[in-house]
Formats: sequence, structure tokens, C-alpha cells
Amino acid sequence: MISLRGVSLVYPNGVRALDNVSLEIGKGDFVFLVGHSGTGKSSLLRLLYREAASTAGEIVVDGIRVDRLRRNRVPALRRHLGVVFQDFKLLTDKTVWENVAFAMQVTGAHTRDVMRQVPRVLDLVGLSHKSRMYPNELSGGEQQRAAIARALVNNPKILLCDEPTGNLDPVNTTEITALLQRINLKGTTVVVATHNQAVVDRMRRRVVRLEDGRITTDEERGYYYLGLGQGQVLSG
Amino acid sequence: MDSGKVKFFLGEVLRNFSRNTGMQVTAIGTVAITIVLLGLFLFVRAALADAGNRLLDQIEISAYLQSDATAGQATAIGHFLTQDPRIASAQFVPKKQGLAELRSRTRGSIDTALLTENPLPDKFRIKVRDPEQVEPVAATVRRLAGVDNVVYGQKIVQRLLALGTVLRKVGIGLILAFVGVAGIIISNTIRLTVFARRREIAIMQLVGATNTYIRLPFICEGLLDGIIGALVALGLLAIARAALWPRLLEALPWVQLTAMPVDARILAAQLILTGAAIGVLASWISVGRFLRT
Repeated sequence: MISLRGVSLVYPNGVRALDNVSLEIGKGDFVFLVGHSGTGKSSLLRLLYREAASTAGEIVVDGIRVDRLRRNRVPALRRHLGVVFQDFKLLTDKTVWENVAFAMQVTGAHTRDVMRQVPRVLDLVGLSHKSRMYPNELSGGEQQRAAIARALVNNPKILLCDEPTGNLDPVNTTEITALLQRINLKGTTVVVATHNQAVVDRMRRRVVRLEDGRITTDEERGYYYLGLGQGQVLSG
Repeated sequence: MDSGKVKFFLGEVLRNFSRNTGMQVTAIGTVAITIVLLGLFLFVRAALADAGNRLLDQIEISAYLQSDATAGQATAIGHFLTQDPRIASAQFVPKKQGLAELRSRTRGSIDTALLTENPLPDKFRIKVRDPEQVEPVAATVRRLAGVDNVVYGQKIVQRLLALGTVLRKVGIGLILAFVGVAGIIISNTIRLTVFARRREIAIMQLVGATNTYIRLPFICEGLLDGIIGALVALGLLAIARAALWPRLLEALPWVQLTAMPVDARILAAQLILTGAAIGVLASWISVGRFLRT
């Protein structure tokens, strides 16, 4: 589903964000990208939805050669992906329903499909009863659920999350994590960049660790901290 | 067509249009001022051209025949003149009639009774279709056998024609300058509205809206600014004409002004089209700049 081979990303200011990264993510996988701030987690995600362009290497997302993608084909790529951010990126002058429908409407979806699809994803994230409310009237967790609904409304095969719980309290964090898991169970490939230790340790899913733009470990059922065995608790 | 789609799209355009009222007023005002200047200029130019043309229309070429020209030569010349497509009319004026005309024109200030013989030669009075053709036609006629001298208002013709050329050149320059300035101001205004909506644009790009789709509402916004601005300008021009025209006629009695030297409907259509074009172009450029970064 996602394949990176020898990918490097050097920003115009000379900062090397990613250095010779290779990674394979299969269909239906759930993957955490962990690492300190500035180790390249977000940069890696940005490459996948072509917000940034790699300077070397080969990137394939859902069969699309992203590294060779022409600018006018970027919208087509983005329709295969859902992206969720720490700051939700909701439009404050639109209701929850309008925010979710917006993602379909601006890609030219038929009204019939909008009317069918929006209630479905709102139900999935548990916001059906608040669809007429504005983002400012919602809690952080609800706003993130609305953002996830928007990311899912075009039925993407891949959901990319950049610090999805970064702005949320523990209760909401748990809820959002559970929601992401449910989405994954329905077959969507989910990639989550995070530095929330609790989330990673509770889920026990695949963990890819980045340090200084390189992948240092890739564990099938990992913990946030390297070498933390099953049943062990980090002291201090 | 999906009516829901259309409704959504129009809703977005109207929403953005009504949200940034201040900026819209700026853009519309700029277009309006530009169009007023442009309209005034086109009107004045048309009035001057009209007055000039009427002066030129009155100009006629007098081709005096040699005193010993034969009747055959006169007939041949007349025949030649009616064949020339550049000539609107050619009238033979025998010397008797010439004298009568001279008498009536001078109204007795010259006592023609003192003349023992008619000093005037026969002549042809020639009118051309296009004022530009006065000089070439005069040159042609001068070479005809039996023609002694050709007289026309050389100085006036040359000056009017030169004035027309200058006016046309200056006019094109001025129009380009007006439109350019308006375009820059509107594109800046629209760039501000684009900037105000950068979150929305970022989200549209994120969910895979094409650049064309993102651009479209802004183009419509520019189009609306342009058309409304032009309509405001037309209103102002109509008021100005109604208020100032009678005074202008009084102030410049020696200029032959027509009440409406241009077709008002055509002028209005030109101005509205110009406004629309300025709006569309300006917004196209300013959104394009934003989408590329």
C-alpha cells in the first residue's frame, strides 16, 4: 500500500529531514511513527500526501509513483488519502456537516453521494447528533472526530494522522485512538505519527522509530521506548 | 446537471463575496473609477473625432480648369471623376455659376459689376468619401489634362489628420495605463481575500480539489467586482452627462458637438466587458500566485 525506497528529503534551507529511508506498509496495517520532535515524522507523512517532494528515492502510495507525480496529478493522489492533523483544520464558519460535506463537494462529488456518505461517516465517528453544530461549540475530541470524518468521507484506503491526539486530554485521546483502531479494523491502512507514549504502549501495534531523519527500529508489536519488554514498566 | 452542486458553488461565491465587504467595496470602487475615466475618455475622443470628421466632411477639392480647356477635356475629366471609387461626388461648376456664387458669398463687398469679363475659370467641385483621401485624390486630379490648379484646405486637412493620429496613440496608451492600474489594485484586493481564505484553500488542496476548482470562486468574485464596478461607473457617467452636457454646449459654442457621438449601448457594453475582463484577469493572476506557493 505504501512503499518508500531510499527516500531522502532535503529542504531548500539545507536541513536534511529524511536520510535514505526505506519502509513498506501493507494493506490494512496500523503503524505508529515515533521519535522526538524534528526527527522527520511529519516530513515523512508530508511526502506521502505530496505536500513536500522527495529529493531522492522512490515513493509508491496506493500504486501511484508519488516521487514522479506531476503537480496537476496531486489532487488525484490526495483523493486516495485521508489526512488528520493535531490542530484539526476545521472551517469555523461551517457546521460539522458542512465541514465533512465540503471535502466531497470541492472534489465535484454528486449531491446524491454527499447525502449518503456524510451521515455514514458522522455515524462512524459518533457525531451524528452534533452535525449542525459549529467547531467552536465542540470539545477538542469532538473536533478531531469531525476532522477524521472529513478525512474518511471520500473512502480513502489510507488514513495519515499527524499527532492526532497532540491537543487532547487523556480521555479524548483514548476515544480517538479507539476510533482509529475501529477504522483500521474496517480495512483502512492507518499511519499515525505521535509522541504520545501511552497511546503507543497501550495499542501494541507496529512501531517505526525515526531518529535524525533515519529509521532506527521497526518492531511488529512495539513500545514507545526501545527495548521496553512486555510487562515491563518504565520507572522514573 | 446536479442542482445541489450548483447551489453549493453559488453559495460559496456569495458567501465569500458578502464576507469581505470592505475589500469588495475597494475593488468595486477601483473598477468604477477606472471605468469612469475610460468612459469619459472614450466619449471625449468620440466627440472630438466626430467634430473633426464633420470639419473634414465639409472640405471639398476645387479643380480649376485651364482657361483654354476644351469642352471635350471637361467631359473627360467629369467622366474620370465619377469612375474613381474614392470620390463621393463631382460637380461641374461653369464660370458663370462660380461668379454667381462668389457674388452671393461676398454679399456685395466686392462690386462684381465692375468686372468687364468673368475672371473665374470653370471648375469641378469634388467631395471624397474618406477625409484621408483628400490629398491623394487632389494629387491625381492635378495630373489630369486640362486641369490648371487644385485647391483644398491643405493645412486644415493635414492638421486634423495629424491630430487624429496623435489622439489615437495617446488614447491607446492612456487606456492601457488605466486598465493596468485597475488590474494591479484589484489583484491586490483579491489577493487579500485569497489570503483571508488560505485555511479554506489549504483544506481544499488537502482533500484533493483541483486548482481549477479552487480558482473558480475567486474568478467569479473578480467577475462580480468588475461588472458591479462597471455598472456603478455607467450610472455615474449617465448622471455626469445629464448634468454637464448642456453647460458644455454653452461653454464651447464654436465646437460642433453632437449630443451622443457614440452609440450609448455599444459604449456601455464595451465598458462592462472591460470591467469584467479586468476583474477576471486580476483574480486569475492573484490566485495563481497563491496556488503556486
